[in-house]
Amino acid sequence: MKRRRGAASEPGCLRAWAAESQALAGRWQAARCSGPDGAAAREVRLQRSGFGELLLRMRGLPAALPTLPLELTVLYNSLLFTMGASNSAIEGEAEGIHQGLLRVLEACGACGQDLSTEELWQKVLQEVTAEELQAPLHRLGALQAAWWLAASRLGSTAGLFRLLSNAEDPGTARCSKAENELLSLLKAWRVPAEGASLPLVQSIEDLKEILCTAAAFLQGLQELEAGNFPTALSLLQEAAGGFCSKSVLAQIYTCLGCCAQRMGKPQTALQHLKRALQVDFQCLPALSHVAAVYHELGETDAELQALALLYEALGKNPPAAASSSPYFLIRTELLVHTPILASLLRRRHPSEVKYLLAQRCLQDGRVADAVEHYLDFLALLQEGLQQQVPLDGGSALPRIPEVFLEAASALEQAGRYQDAITVCEEVISRTTDLIPQMLREEERLEQPECPSPEAGLAGGLLSQKKESLCCLTWRAAGYLHQGWAWAELGQSKEAITQFSRCLGDLLRAQLYGSGVEPTENLLPEVEVLQKIRLLSLIGRGVQFLELGRHKEALLDFQHGWQISPGDPAATSYLVQALWKLNRKQEAAAHWQKLSQSCPGEDREQEGQGRPFPLYLVSCLKQATFPHSESLARSIQDYLRTTNQDPLS
Amino acid sequence: MAHVGHRVDYLAGFCCPVGGLVAGKPRVLCHENEIYLSNGSEFVYVYDQEGKVLKAVYRCPDQVWHVELLPQPRQLYILCAHSGIYCVSLEQQSRLMEQTDGDGQESNCPSGVFPVDSDACIFPDSSLCMFTLLNNFVITLSQAHGKWWMKLHELPRPDEESPPYRQVSEVGFCPGPQPGDEGDGPPSRFLPVLCCASSPGAVGSGEGLWCSGGFVLEEPLFSLLFGIDAAMLESPMILCGFPDGQLCSVPLKALSSSPAVNGCHDVSNQDPPVKILHHLEEPIVFIGALRTERRAAEDAEDEQLFGDAGCDCVVAVGHYGKMVAVKADQREEATVPELREYYLRGPILCAACGSGSRMYYSTHSDISAVDLDWVGDSSDPEDAESCTGVLPPVLSPASLSICSVVALSLSSRASEGESELLALSAKGRLMTCDLCSPEDADVGLTPAEVGRRIKELLSGIGNTSERVSFLKKAVDQKNRALASLNQVMNVSAALLSSQEGQKPIACTVTANWSCLLLQDSVTISCLLENCSEYSLEEGWTLCVQLLASPCALEEESVDSATTFTFPINQLLPGNKRELTLPLGSAADTKLDLPLTISCALYYSLRDILGSGSDSSEALDDLLPDDSPILSPDREGICLPLSECTIDMLQCLCFESNPPRPDASPPAAAPPDPVETFLKASREQTEPEGAKAGELLDAPGEGNLPPSAASIRVSSELLKNALKTSSSDVPLSCATLRWLLAENAGAEALSSEEVASVRGTAPDGGEVQLLVREVAMNDLSPAGPIQAVEILMESPSLADMCRMHHAVIRRIQALVLEQAAQGSGPPDLRMQYLRQIQANHEMLLKEAQTLRDRPPLGEEGAATAEKLLHVYRQLRNPSLVLL
Repeated sequence: MKRRRGAASEPGCLRAWAAESQALAGRWQAARCSGPDGAAAREVRLQRSGFGELLLRMRGLPAALPTLPLELTVLYNSLLFTMGASNSAIEGEAEGIHQGLLRVLEACGACGQDLSTEELWQKVLQEVTAEELQAPLHRLGALQAAWWLAASRLGSTAGLFRLLSNAEDPGTARCSKAENELLSLLKAWRVPAEGASLPLVQSIEDLKEILCTAAAFLQGLQELEAGNFPTALSLLQEAAGGFCSKSVLAQIYTCLGCCAQRMGKPQTALQHLKRALQVDFQCLPALSHVAAVYHELGETDAELQALALLYEALGKNPPAAASSSPYFLIRTELLVHTPILASLLRRRHPSEVKYLLAQRCLQDGRVADAVEHYLDFLALLQEGLQQQVPLDGGSALPRIPEVFLEAASALEQAGRYQDAITVCEEVISRTTDLIPQMLREEERLEQPECPSPEAGLAGGLLSQKKESLCCLTWRAAGYLHQGWAWAELGQSKEAITQFSRCLGDLLRAQLYGSGVEPTENLLPEVEVLQKIRLLSLIGRGVQFLELGRHKEALLDFQHGWQISPGDPAATSYLVQALWKLNRKQEAAAHWQKLSQSCPGEDREQEGQGRPFPLYLVSCLKQATFPHSESLARSIQDYLRTTNQDPLS
Repeated sequence: MAHVGHRVDYLAGFCCPVGGLVAGKPRVLCHENEIYLSNGSEFVYVYDQEGKVLKAVYRCPDQVWHVELLPQPRQLYILCAHSGIYCVSLEQQSRLMEQTDGDGQESNCPSGVFPVDSDACIFPDSSLCMFTLLNNFVITLSQAHGKWWMKLHELPRPDEESPPYRQVSEVGFCPGPQPGDEGDGPPSRFLPVLCCASSPGAVGSGEGLWCSGGFVLEEPLFSLLFGIDAAMLESPMILCGFPDGQLCSVPLKALSSSPAVNGCHDVSNQDPPVKILHHLEEPIVFIGALRTERRAAEDAEDEQLFGDAGCDCVVAVGHYGKMVAVKADQREEATVPELREYYLRGPILCAACGSGSRMYYSTHSDISAVDLDWVGDSSDPEDAESCTGVLPPVLSPASLSICSVVALSLSSRASEGESELLALSAKGRLMTCDLCSPEDADVGLTPAEVGRRIKELLSGIGNTSERVSFLKKAVDQKNRALASLNQVMNVSAALLSSQEGQKPIACTVTANWSCLLLQDSVTISCLLENCSEYSLEEGWTLCVQLLASPCALEEESVDSATTFTFPINQLLPGNKRELTLPLGSAADTKLDLPLTISCALYYSLRDILGSGSDSSEALDDLLPDDSPILSPDREGICLPLSECTIDMLQCLCFESNPPRPDASPPAAAPPDPVETFLKASREQTEPEGAKAGELLDAPGEGNLPPSAASIRVSSELLKNALKTSSSDVPLSCATLRWLLAENAGAEALSSEEVASVRGTAPDGGEVQLLVREVAMNDLSPAGPIQAVEILMESPSLADMCRMHHAVIRRIQALVLEQAAQGSGPPDLRMQYLRQIQANHEMLLKEAQTLRDRPPLGEEGAATAEKLLHVYRQLRNPSLVLL
């Protein structure tokens, strides 16, 4: 339609286009000042298509210098609306800018078909000298910078601003080499004046501020990832001083907090995180970082409080897409999206937080709270699909059977033995089908004990073996807990049955056929299995003692002592059993050996080893020898008498 | 295998495109009495099975890829190609219908077509490939950024309105190789398959689990397949079958990695909860589950009741017939999942599983049922012993004799208490197939029953006729293929058996001048002559490849070839067909003389199978230029016919009258016209001064002296070769006739005695050819040797060279022939010969050095000049061919 009228009427066209552009921009000014969010969002879409169509029409004619300033301005506005309407991160190359630059070159009689966008910018800025094109080109350059920042192409961005500054005022950019180059270039860039004839939908000053913030934020994150914490800190602080929305500011403070935490400054970290929450309480990742810092500081009360608050906050507002005001079409959050930010700002699911609460309570010995939280968590698991339970690598959750065992452990400590037994039953029944009962498992299980080069060959098979080993561990631990729970309920026979089942399961694996091995070479699972066996033997032995079946008890204690000769509980029980069987000589000998090995050394040894799973801690406590002092006294008496005997 | 009794009922016909429906997108769903059907077009139909009427038709904005039904509230979810998922409320629609049409029940057409407009689009996402429903959740699978994305959305509950479709969680994963990068659409015509597997615990808690195609999987298979965590979470699992053959499982409860921050996903953790269960290596078309082991005997009766027991076997079926079944094997002490692959006859269009142990699958020719219940079936003890495991070692499909079904669904209508198969045929017919054999049929029939029976018979006939027409088509196609193969074999045998002598099918190539587009130009005509006793039928193609010689004028020229293909419709024995190719003008430098022309017959084997395309463009694609005709990547039969060379002498054009009246005198050669004589003698005596001689002979050709070359052959040799006696015609005339024997335009020469001709080259240049007899005095001590000198001249160097090449080629052949007969050379003066040879070697060396030295600036022009000069000398040797 436009072509028919030909180039002769171009001034007429130009006037019409300018009027249309002005009308569109005016409508936007009116719309964004009033009206609810939804209407504004629709307006953004309308404007995008409006400017897009106008641009298409203008491009229908060959490029000409008089129309170019208007065309570039329309392009600028159209791209801004594209950005604003997408409402998510910008990706890919800005094709429109590339085309716009080609049009500029076309109007100037040059050609740049095969050039990359970077080269095109260089050519355009160096060769196009027309005064009236400078301002629109600079604006377009700022938009290009936004695109490149979003793609984390900092080098291209810096190069572009170097060109923009040189073209304008050579020399100013070079003054601050010590500072971050990109930032100083950005700051030194002089914003072209905005003409009334070419209205912009978002002012170029705003855009410059946003670019500065985004550049500082991005580089800060990069330095944080690279481990240059001081640089990262200063860049992020720079970003925090910049122009951005509250939510982004909270994100920046959160990152500052993480940075400080990694630098070993927990108090500073806490301050930053608190500021993040002050700015935007919806920045819940900050709250989980607060909990982590308190955990590091050992302030359990504060940590639990933070976690509880986090849980409450998560429950109140489900993670919905943050509604953003369309007042600013281009926003910092559209420009900064890197994987490290995503991992720093990982949102915890309510289930994770609930578990963390329970786990911390149990670790800290707050049994009643722990029980409550564990039961809450188990209830969460029963809820529908809304309640997601993340099981991936970044999750705070361990494997589900372990959670059940921990819950059982908490219940047991709280004296709710029947409940503990029920929870363990669930683990036992679930694992039943997954544990191979074959005796030939013996070799399979011994293989991982001695690390062989073939271990990596069949990854699937190995992981399956490992999985069955895990299941075996959980099942055995379930029986162990049940045994101790029955013991606490005073049902020795039932307890002995459970302990025997546990031992029977463990025998299935045939782990100890090769005798005692240095602990360092064992798989963690195998180590745990050994511990479970020891605890189970002790438990059964104690029950035998209660029933007065001293010989069977002695057998169990001896086995236990063989598994772990240095273990004080095992030795003490052995000594006690020997003592009760009136084998006082042997008892004294064992006791002497135990007391000779420095108790401090023992503790050190335990510290060296891997920490045992949380669900075993209660059993470890239960298995400690209760009457060590009375036993020590009686043995010392005995030793004194026997030593005196030969003397006298 | 047990016979599967069945009764087929036709319900309705739906429109289908030409060529029938294609499997994959069509879908049939059944709920209560209504059948929901999509046939791959943009329509979705609702059919009332009870009233046998079409209740409603919905028109979607684009092709429908998938349909799911949510029974409570009754809603249809429709996935449209490249636009997203639309939700249609059926209750609202039926109300609407009752209002608009009260008595339209009798007519078999719907009251109207309801358009599904864009307001109904609940998930506008062009990258969506598949979705499924699970109670009030929608699980979508889309493809973006080189990954598959599974998203879990919660549907709004009926009572609440505002937050429409909340995304609960999503996960991106990339099983195996990257999915195709062809934009956002699915990479192939196959869509992924989704299916939901629930754990047995979850059923009890959830009231009325709805998931079409979903199933409850029993323990311990659930734990074994999906792991203990999913089992303890009692998480429903989504099974995905991908077009590349991967079978993955995703726990819906642990779907999330973490919500996106600023649109960027945390990719740091590399282990999304997705587990690859198996790789079928062909597109997966169906995933289902079966109950293979019957429970205790007393339960056998209510086995048919749905939801009574979970399934204990998962099956996945690939398009090309590979099928995998997984079942927990508890026989041995360790419980392991037993995984067995079967090979069915593909391609499998669709499949369905009921509540029993049978799976039904449809191929183009039949629906078959396979039974995976093996334990109950193993009456033969040897079988049981020979193979351990819980799955049958082989499957024996039982035919249902229903062909070309593209969508299958198993419905169990509560009213009848028996299950039936709903099928949509490729011709768009909806039918039901009862899976219980009607054994109680021939007891006393009431008239109503008789009527029903007749109806059944009629529809049975209809089904049979459809099947017959399909089979007939297949047989016809095979017959045609056999007939084609037979004639191809005959032709091949005829050609191959006569390798030595004259081929029964020959292709003669000649060059002609003709007037094309008001312009004289050279054309090549190929005369295909069928002297065999078989006719060349349709499907044969004559391929003519023109190959420019490597010794073309440009030094760096590589072999360039053009292939022309002519489909032969039919060539009966004894018939000929002439085909003409333009040789192109001078501008077409690709085809430079001399040309080697190879002809071959080609038969595409794809045509036999009916899969080949008939268009000649496709054949041109098949036979690209610049490649030899015989190449291994062509699926066909190629029989070479002939190969020949077209050179300058064949392409010369003479005027209708003898070119030079003054050159025509039939007198003996030596007293030639003065000019010729002068020039010749000068060249002969002072070969270095050829320039002067040429200057004389450049009357109207501008400033360029015509290039010239000469060659001498002893008269003896020529006489022997041409077998002419001296009395007949002068030797020079005979020689010229011999040279131009293959030129169609040179017939005039045969009638007159001419020793010199002037003609036009294909590019329009003028060429002169002159033959005369000379005596060589210095060569032999025995006296002068009589020789024939052939002189070639042309203002165009290129034409002269082509001519020279052509003449030398002929003489070379002649000399070789004569050498074979072994005539001794006459006594020669060796000293003189050596002298000449030394001269030439020096010239050659000079040429070599000139060419090796890169020409610089002005020097370059001089060098070129010098080079030309040397070549000119080389072209005029003083030697004679004896």
